[in-house]
Amino acid sequence: MAAKILPVVKFATKVTIAGGALYVAYDSGLLGGSKEGSVALGRAKAAIPPAVEEWMKYFGFELPATPKIEFSPLNAWNSGVQKSIHALSVAPSTVSDYTKQGMQYAKNHLK
Amino acid sequence: MSEKEIGRKWDRCLADCAIKVGTGLGLGIVFSVVFFKRRTSPIAFGTGLGLGMAYSNCQNDFKSHYVLHSNVAKEQ
Repeated sequence: MAAKILPVVKFATKVTIAGGALYVAYDSGLLGGSKEGSVALGRAKAAIPPAVEEWMKYFGFELPATPKIEFSPLNAWNSGVQKSIHALSVAPSTVSDYTKQGMQYAKNHLK
Repeated sequence: MSEKEIGRKWDRCLADCAIKVGTGLGLGIVFSVVFFKRRTSPIAFGTGLGLGMAYSNCQNDFKSHYVLHSNVAKEQ
């Protein structure tokens, strides 16, 4: 009697676990549109530091502090293009300035 | 679309991609352990599913600016 029911119970447990995981993913908005996804990411980011702190207190050791990186790829993404185009746009005036300075220097030396 | 709007759309797109790939990976691992005797194919399937969902969402988000919306009056 028990031998016959056991496979059914096992299968039912497996279905419950898998279905529960799927339901949790669906319910927390992980499978929705773009906006819900970024909202969920924000929530996860906000929830991680307190959770890490709690775990550290529980285990009683300190994690090394995360190093601060000054470089931000978000701001530096276009910097190459911006700098080169800016240099190109001010090139005529820079060249004329240098030419004038050069002519002045030459005049002063020829006097 | 203005540049700010495009930037915001890209941010949403990448965040969504990370979430969906992670979710797909997680669910793939769960299903692989529970149903498929720890084979790797469900994990790859789940990750691919997540990537596909993210790609589709991004595509719809970028296209939504150009899609025409109309209000059709219902016939009485």
